Amino acid sequence: MGGVWTKLVERLPLQFRVLYRQFLLQVIDLEALSIEADIPRFLGQFAGVLILITIFQTIQCLFAAGNPKQPPWVVANLALQKEQSFIAGTMLIAGLIAVVSWDGVFPDRRDAMVLGPLPVKPQTILAAKLAASGALLAVGVVALNFSTGTVLPWVMGGSLFGFLRALFSWWFTMAAATAFLYGAVLTVQGWSALLLSRPAFLRVSALLQLAAFALFLMGWIFQPSFPGLHAMSIAGRFAGKWPACWFLCVFQQLDGTLPSELAWMAHRAWVAVGVSVAGAGTSLLLCYFRTMKKTVEQPDLVPGGSGRRLPTHWGNSLETAIVQFCIRSLARSKQHRVIYAFYLAISFAIAVSTIESVVQTRAARPVTPEFLMPTMLMLCLAIAGLRSIFSLPVSLKANWVLQVTQLRPPEQYIAATRRALLVMSAIPVWLVVAGLSLCFRPWHAVAEHLIFLALLAWLLTELSMLNVSKIPFACSFLPGKMNIQYLFWALAVVFIPIAMTLAHEEIIAFGNTRLMAALLAVPAIFAAGLCVWNRHEARSAVLYYEEQEPEVVMRLGLAGAILQPREATSSLGEGGSQNA
Amino acid sequence: MLELRRVSKRYSGIPAVDDVSFTARPGEVTGYLGPNGSGKSTTMKMITGLIERSAGHILFEGRAIEDDLMGFKRRMGYVPEEPHLYNHLSGAEYLTMVGQLRGLPARPTAERIDGMLRLLSLYDDRHASISGYSKGMRQKVLIIAALLHNPDLVLLDEPFSGLDVASALVLRSLIQELAKRGKVVLFSSHELDTVERVSSRVIILHKGKLVADDSIERLRSLMELPTLEAIFSQLAVEQDTDAMAREMADLVS
Repeated sequence: MGGVWTKLVERLPLQFRVLYRQFLLQVIDLEALSIEADIPRFLGQFAGVLILITIFQTIQCLFAAGNPKQPPWVVANLALQKEQSFIAGTMLIAGLIAVVSWDGVFPDRRDAMVLGPLPVKPQTILAAKLAASGALLAVGVVALNFSTGTVLPWVMGGSLFGFLRALFSWWFTMAAATAFLYGAVLTVQGWSALLLSRPAFLRVSALLQLAAFALFLMGWIFQPSFPGLHAMSIAGRFAGKWPACWFLCVFQQLDGTLPSELAWMAHRAWVAVGVSVAGAGTSLLLCYFRTMKKTVEQPDLVPGGSGRRLPTHWGNSLETAIVQFCIRSLARSKQHRVIYAFYLAISFAIAVSTIESVVQTRAARPVTPEFLMPTMLMLCLAIAGLRSIFSLPVSLKANWVLQVTQLRPPEQYIAATRRALLVMSAIPVWLVVAGLSLCFRPWHAVAEHLIFLALLAWLLTELSMLNVSKIPFACSFLPGKMNIQYLFWALAVVFIPIAMTLAHEEIIAFGNTRLMAALLAVPAIFAAGLCVWNRHEARSAVLYYEEQEPEVVMRLGLAGAILQPREATSSLGEGGSQNA
Repeated sequence: MLELRRVSKRYSGIPAVDDVSFTARPGEVTGYLGPNGSGKSTTMKMITGLIERSAGHILFEGRAIEDDLMGFKRRMGYVPEEPHLYNHLSGAEYLTMVGQLRGLPARPTAERIDGMLRLLSLYDDRHASISGYSKGMRQKVLIIAALLHNPDLVLLDEPFSGLDVASALVLRSLIQELAKRGKVVLFSSHELDTVERVSSRVIILHKGKLVADDSIERLRSLMELPTLEAIFSQLAVEQDTDAMAREMADLVS
């Protein structure tokens, strides 16, 4: 089997194979994931989380289906809900891949400069880039669906034919949902590139990337769940706003179980896929054949003219330098922006959901755990997010200037880092919560919660500063080492239960001065203790820099092909002899 | 006075700089020469404290630099070989940051930055992102950053790299002017003609070892060679350059 595959692969043109391997690494936005990203490991972790999710869901379905006491309609509705949730999950994965591989499919300046002088046709570059993106999407979608996508069709199918039909419907629906979302992103990007000048496109593109990230995450968080198709048809136009519902109807249509009153939703999905794929195809072709050469001629950056300045005082000159450096790095570096946007999008979604009911009822609401817990979560996400972003280098080779100008003791640099963390995460989130609090009553409970939150912010900041002897953005970090699976479980298993308990305790303590004082004393004492410890440790700390980037050698694995000039020449086609 | 005593740097046992000793005095420009890989930049980085030496001592004004490293850094300006800068900052932001990190007073530093940007024709582009700067523009930013705090020791590693003719002429005169004002100037360059015009003394390194340390006039008379280029070729170039060029042309044709 392996031999047949190898032979099939070897029949592909050499140029395509070389470019495909190159683009497979490039398609992950190197800028967004740090230049030294350990991409295979990062993808492995990413797939690991998805596989874990699918296995848990599968076990739940198997238990439900294997329970003889469960009525069949309960199992059917559960399967339907799972199907909808997996369509939404698949779309989220496709969306996240689209964000992470932003601009990866389109020709950029580097492609034009490097490949332009070589005898490589634009269609070869386009095919290689599409194949690389397709491979990445396939990894994500298959990892998320591999066990559920087999077990649920079996639960829903009933007979062998039913199983096969459901199996086909499942995977076809997932492929269509992925094509729709990814195609939509490509369409928007492609037409922006075609219609705007290069510098304007680069600016808009960065904003679009963030907007897409927030949109996909919030879409997934707010995704409504319907207990059955009947409930969905009652929801009518509301359900019709959600693409995951359209594709659920496509699945039902292919499976032969779609009620006629929902046919319009399936139709909407087909139209959406058609428009999305056509839009993406047209814009890609136009970009490759019309604008690739223009990319070289247009500058990536226009001269800045405004010289807008950030506030000039964030403490002493060192603190000002570090805080300004942090703000600028976060604002201008795509890699940092995108990753922090992930945390902020979740925080933003929580904030929106917190005030959603208030906006709907237009009346102040009582302070409840449903308000208290999300605000703590927002704070935690913002601080933890920024702390992890601080560990991503912005330019390792430029760190020499920090070393050469290190004229003060390390504790002052660490204090400046603490200040940056407070200024950029804890304080803005606290202010947002204070704004949200205006919608809640009674005032004394709101005020007490804000004090509690301020102390919690201090505690989380000090926790984040444990063993920190680095300047933000000035040391090496590999996303592959981030261990997202641990972060995910730490948040889910540790912080959420703690936040729930604290919210409950706060509700009890409101109005009781003694209890509230005791509750406020807990974070205050821990924070003060940690603060003293951190300052003590900082006195003997040595600032850590990692200037040297690891040597990254990418193997194309084409030695065999290159050692066989006759084969290589024949597969290269036009211009191949020069390359060989 | 900057003094290196038997300084060595080894990477996995392989010497990059081997037992190098020399002195750079205030008021004179010391040229530091050598072929690629001879250990010039490694020496510069050891002096700045960016890399640790494997052996030897570095003294500035008679004191080992590690006795008061921060005090030493305050008095040192350094232009590195490669123009690595934070590309997401503008030229003005980068220089302001360097001033802040050095703890320089804000207003006079801003005026000094503006003045130097104007002199080096960078003022109009000061708010543009460094990622858009040419190699020469980056080099100018590095030169300003190195001189911003009026250092007593100026280390210039390939400072002419990427500069246009006019800027190179300005820098050449600036190096001499700095030395006239009593500063210790150590600079490395591959442009032998410039080194010959600017330097009072040259130090030549070959495969990490010091092969010459004297004034250009004395080297000329000792070796009975007319130019610094001829001296350098004799001491540090092993290949027959003409034969090598012919061989390369033969290979590609």
